[in-house]
Amino acid sequence: MDDAIVRRNNIRVSGRGTQPMLFAHGFGCDQNMWRFVAPAFEADYRVVLFDYAGSGGSDIASYDEARYASLEGYAQDVLDVCAALDLSDVILVAHSVSSVIGAIAANREPERFAQLIMIGPSPRYINAAPDYVGGFERSDLEGLLEMMDRNFIGWANFLAPRIMKNAERPELSFELESSFCSTDPVIARQFAKATFFADNRADLPDVRVPTLIMQCSDDMIAPTSVGEYVHAAIAGSTFRMMKATGHCPHMSHPEETIAVIREYLAQSAPAALARGTVD
Amino acid sequence: MKHGVPLDASLDDAPAGFLSFSDDGTIQAVNGTLLTMLNLTRADVVDARVETLLTVGSRIFYQTHFFPMLRLHGRAEEIFLLLRSKDNGEIAALVNAVRRERHGSWITDCVIMQVRERQKFEDALLRAKQQADDARRSAELQRAAVETANAQLERQALELELTQRQSEELSEELSAQTEELSVQAEELGRINDELMLRSEELEQQRVVAEEANRAKSTFLASMSHELRTPLNAIGGYVQLLDMGIHGAVTDAQRDALAKIARSQRHLLRLINEVLNFARVEAGRVEYSIHAVPILDVVEGIRPMIEPQLAARRLLYEVDIPRSEMACVDLEKMEQVLLNLLSNAIKFTPPDGRITVSTEPGDGADRPVRLLIRDTGIGIPADRLSQVFDPFVQVDTGHTRNAQGTGLGLAISRDLVRGMGGDLTAESRLGAGSTFILTLPRAESAR
Repeated sequence: MDDAIVRRNNIRVSGRGTQPMLFAHGFGCDQNMWRFVAPAFEADYRVVLFDYAGSGGSDIASYDEARYASLEGYAQDVLDVCAALDLSDVILVAHSVSSVIGAIAANREPERFAQLIMIGPSPRYINAAPDYVGGFERSDLEGLLEMMDRNFIGWANFLAPRIMKNAERPELSFELESSFCSTDPVIARQFAKATFFADNRADLPDVRVPTLIMQCSDDMIAPTSVGEYVHAAIAGSTFRMMKATGHCPHMSHPEETIAVIREYLAQSAPAALARGTVD
Repeated sequence: MKHGVPLDASLDDAPAGFLSFSDDGTIQAVNGTLLTMLNLTRADVVDARVETLLTVGSRIFYQTHFFPMLRLHGRAEEIFLLLRSKDNGEIAALVNAVRRERHGSWITDCVIMQVRERQKFEDALLRAKQQADDARRSAELQRAAVETANAQLERQALELELTQRQSEELSEELSAQTEELSVQAEELGRINDELMLRSEELEQQRVVAEEANRAKSTFLASMSHELRTPLNAIGGYVQLLDMGIHGAVTDAQRDALAKIARSQRHLLRLINEVLNFARVEAGRVEYSIHAVPILDVVEGIRPMIEPQLAARRLLYEVDIPRSEMACVDLEKMEQVLLNLLSNAIKFTPPDGRITVSTEPGDGADRPVRLLIRDTGIGIPADRLSQVFDPFVQVDTGHTRNAQGTGLGLAISRDLVRGMGGDLTAESRLGAGSTFILTLPRAESAR
């Protein structure tokens, strides 16, 4: 185990299974966004959570502006985490931009990955005439950057929300001692650019790892047409339309999310059983 | 109000927008203030999703930041969002939100404050912040550039200082040298002036001396002529008296006449020598050069010196090969030899020896060296160089017998030089003298 990477990427390992289930967060938050989903797999899998360098509880000092100027750098983080824990036969559960990051990582080291589960993937957010609809114009994304700038003026608040009592969800209380989704405004801005101005459509056809595409209804960030595009681009991929709306089903609709993942893994269990990794 | 409890009337027109939505984003409640703010009717928001009230940028921010915060923290405060009015206008607003369970479902309640003037401040603040960031970045770049330039300047300054020190040292050295040189130059100038002055003086002296010399020569020439005429008259009348033309001459008278005649001849010889010297000095002598056997010249004058040799009982030896030839004026050569031999006889005590010889001539290119050696009184070393000066006779105790003008050697040397040769002397006091004639060699007659 490479302690430097464990520290850099704030790796957290849990679960009683042997097959690793690696959860990769998207832009805007950190590994905390998996808290409503990941525990459901601890009984059967070795659950691995991590933060990308520059996000959440990662070592901010390790952030390298040049490396993380493109998603390739983030893909290397995924591979670094796998190597640090010597993971193989990995089920990678990736939200939003991590779907593409995961695809890049899987193309680089396909032997590490057993399954690629994409939640709300988009290989390109900006529309590309004449026939690709990513859902956004460049000006829309400039609007996002402005929104971030405006909110990061009062960043102290955003970074460390006041600890509150949550009578209804006592299980959250202790976790609130540390702030969630905290991020460095400069890094967040660069991550936004790396994410929303990227075009990774060409990487999709190279994906050989069995892939599940989970598409939310009414997702304004990754529209259904984009999900379908991804499904079409990755040969042999599975496409699941969810009842969940929005872009973060693992947060808004964790039960359905868990169920869809379980169902998919069950279908591919014979392969997993053949490898002797599932009891 | 579609779901749940109808809004209190006071909430409906509260001075802030109010909005409730479920986790899936479906709008649950909205107050009149918000509808007015967004220029919407209640029908517009029924079953709509909360993102529809937002601009595109705000939608992404809602999904990536706002909602995860609400979901994880249960609340969010002072979130800036751009709302979208019915006519696509942008309404800037600050949102405070809390997510809580109500009647079995999770509801997020939001209070929305429109910001207008405050946004302007924020805009200015943002611009200032960006400018500050840009300025900081460019300041950092400039500082780096300045530091680089500074380092370079410092390096150059050091180099310059070094160069300056070197040039100062050089300059000091140069000015020291310059001072020295100018002192030397002054000195030289002074010496030069002095030399010029002396040179002028010398030139004047030379002119004076030449004039004097010329006057002397003229004087001597005319004096000799004036003296010779009466002397010749004396000689002639003595001869007439001796012949008895004016009557019988007694023995006593004849003896007196002989003495007058001897004195007259002596005086005439002296006068002739002076005249000769004057002529030679004035450069008025002409030479008739021919290849002549040396032996012939030497033997030719033997009769003239034999009486003197005999009188002083001197041994006279001649050792000259017949083949030895020189290019000379025969007459002048005889005159010189006669002079040298007369001197030798004059300064050699009785029973002495006089030798005339040539050095073995081993090379055709080398001049003939004719040596006249005597066993006479010799010449002191310190006077040897002066014997050829005019009017000089070596003044020793032994010269009492010597007679002459002191012009003989001067004339001899002038004549030999005039023939392309030279006359030198070697001597040791009490051991005799050797006069050496160096003469241009002629091709052997053999």
